[in-house]
Amino acid sequence: MSDIHLDSAVLAALQDVMEDEYPVLLDTYLADSEERLRLLRQAMREADAQGLRLAAHSFKGSCSNMGAPMLADLCKQLEEVGRRDSLAEAPGLIEQIEREFAIVRILFKSERQRYRT
Amino acid sequence: MAITSLPSPDGQELTIVIQGRFDFGAHQEFRDAYERVNLSPKRYVVDLKGTTYLDSSALGMLLLLRDHAGGDHAQIRLLNCNPDVRKILAISNFEQLFQIT
Amino acid sequence: MPARLSILIAEDNAADRMLLSTIISRQGHRSLTASNGLEAVALFEQERPQLVLMDALMPVMDGFEAARRIKQMAGEELVPIIFLTSLTEGEALVRCLEAGGDDFLAKPYNRVILEAKINAMDRLRRLQDTVLQQRDLIAQHNEYLLNEQRVAKAVFDKVAHSGCLAAPNIRYLQSPYALFNGDLLLAAFKPSGGMHVLLGDFTGHGLPAAIGAMPLAEVFYGMTAKGYSLTEILREINAKLKRILPLGVFCCATLLNISFQRRVVEVWNGGLPDGYLLRASGGERVPLVSRHLPLGILDAAAFNDHYEVFPLELGDRIFLLSDGVLEACNQQGELFGEKRLHRVFTANRQPALLFAEIQQALLSFRGELQDDVSLVEVSMVEEGSLSRGPLTFTGSGQHSPLDWSASFEFRGETLRHFNPLPFLLQLLIEVEGLRPQGGAIYSVLAELYSNALEHGVLGLDSSLKCNAEGFAEYYQQRSARLAQLREGYVRFHLQLLSESGGGRLIIRVEDSGSGFDGQAILEQQLRIDRLCGRGLALIRQLSERCTWPVDGQGVSVEFSWLAGA
Repeated sequence: MSDIHLDSAVLAALQDVMEDEYPVLLDTYLADSEERLRLLRQAMREADAQGLRLAAHSFKGSCSNMGAPMLADLCKQLEEVGRRDSLAEAPGLIEQIEREFAIVRILFKSERQRYRT
Repeated sequence: MAITSLPSPDGQELTIVIQGRFDFGAHQEFRDAYERVNLSPKRYVVDLKGTTYLDSSALGMLLLLRDHAGGDHAQIRLLNCNPDVRKILAISNFEQLFQIT
Repeated sequence: MPARLSILIAEDNAADRMLLSTIISRQGHRSLTASNGLEAVALFEQERPQLVLMDALMPVMDGFEAARRIKQMAGEELVPIIFLTSLTEGEALVRCLEAGGDDFLAKPYNRVILEAKINAMDRLRRLQDTVLQQRDLIAQHNEYLLNEQRVAKAVFDKVAHSGCLAAPNIRYLQSPYALFNGDLLLAAFKPSGGMHVLLGDFTGHGLPAAIGAMPLAEVFYGMTAKGYSLTEILREINAKLKRILPLGVFCCATLLNISFQRRVVEVWNGGLPDGYLLRASGGERVPLVSRHLPLGILDAAAFNDHYEVFPLELGDRIFLLSDGVLEACNQQGELFGEKRLHRVFTANRQPALLFAEIQQALLSFRGELQDDVSLVEVSMVEEGSLSRGPLTFTGSGQHSPLDWSASFEFRGETLRHFNPLPFLLQLLIEVEGLRPQGGAIYSVLAELYSNALEHGVLGLDSSLKCNAEGFAEYYQQRSARLAQLREGYVRFHLQLLSESGGGRLIIRVEDSGSGFDGQAILEQQLRIDRLCGRGLALIRQLSERCTWPVDGQGVSVEFSWLAGA
């Protein structure tokens, strides 16, 4: 399992591709991730394994694209839980995801700061 | 089907060997066999040893060779005809135009 | 550099969608974005992008369903769909392919791989496009070709069917598109009431094989109607084909000249498989062998018009076939061949079933139907049993000459090479009143001429023809003596008289022979074996009057007519 919160090489590549749009991409990711987290919590509340799986899958995809490997990995585990319909394991994983996202969020915010000017 | 041509060492005779079916599909290859050689042989030999079948288009191609080789003065031998091929040549009476051995 | 494509991105995750869209724009393409399957389908319908990047799992409508719908809308056109997925289970990948997916792209996205995949898919898309265009082009060409063939066949059928293939003594079998296999079957009544039949097989297939059929048929019908002989027709066809066909294209053919009245058939076979004379009594099969090169190969000087003559009995049948029968090939590469054909002949009990039995044998030999088979069978029947239309003549008939006489003398050299009958017939049918009797006049002229030539000039003995060996001997002697002929003559005196309400034709024929006692010959002929000539009896039957001068020099016959009759 990776112990990197945010892969700076990936960020450099994204910056290269997005050029001036880079900060917008970061904002979009953060906003979208908040939405995914909300959906994860909702699915767990409603014991909706399929909803859980879909939200985790989508979240996993963007995390891997944005260079957040630990978060992507946690999402993958949660997706698997949803797929296996073993919802008992979900609360623990969601808590870990929230914690990891909190870290990633701070790192992205500081990355974002550099482009505020 | 495969057609090869082989000039004699003195360049006086060209042997054209035909393998497999001798029909319309062989048209271009057969022409190439005598048109794409840079010599003017006096005699031609068409070796039909490996020829399994021959149709009326093939007879037409032999006529074209005969014309190329001088028409009524052409010297062309057809060699090693199997019974089926010989039968077709006989029905068409091509022995009047070619030496069949 | 690949062309700018318009690419649809269907991805529910906003950040991924933005990233992908930017990558694609940077690569020079136009991007369209949708956040679920339903939007993607709607956008596809509206914008018709050339390529789709499709997330598998999306809300509202997933990527699998959207892919299926898009493929359906695209129809024959290839719209490549690349699934965007980090799906790792094999089952899910299979679902993508089953939904119509063409490739996958895993997250995280790699720009280089994405570009390479888009380019690869674009190549595939263009290939499919080219294939479709070429397919349409081929279909179009094929349609043109079939249409041309239909037109060519319709024109040809008009020419070919001007003959007498429908006569009750002819049975034949030909594929409707035989013409484009190079096969050709023609039959026509001669002015004398006999019949010419030609079965031909041109080299090759398709239009090149059919193209020579038209002039051949024209010559065959035109010359037969005018009373030209078998050898004259053969020579003309050969010369014409030699002149117009490209080198290497020729026509294998058998030509028959059947005389129902004289009960003989003349056969010339150049390049067709053996035909057969099937004897009614005894079941003998006399092969009609190819003795000549096909038509259209030799120039006139080298062309050989020698034909064979066979006596016929009532019920005898002449059977001809094209090489399609013998060269039918089975899965093992064996040819049907003559032996199998002879077995069918031997097993045949009812003549009417012979063709069906041959087809059946071919079917069981090959396992499928053979479509390039031409068969024809002509039966020897009683002279009067065939009904035929009147002779057709060109010419206006406005100014019919009525009162004239003319004499012709054909001498040695001319008798060897020239057939005067068509010439005389053309002259006589200028007289409108004689046209209804054109066939009878021709038959009588032909009889008188062959009588004068064979017995008078060549001194042949007609009683030779009383048996089959003598028959052959007779015709051998005929060609041998004809070839040596230097002297002698045959004279025709034609006299046209105007009579009240009509007119009268008097034909007198003389020859350089020693003369003969017509009355005695007639009486003898009425008694002797029917292999012998029935010539004089026929003349008497067809003409109004028939007389022999007492000196035995010549014969005189008369025809009369009433105006408007």
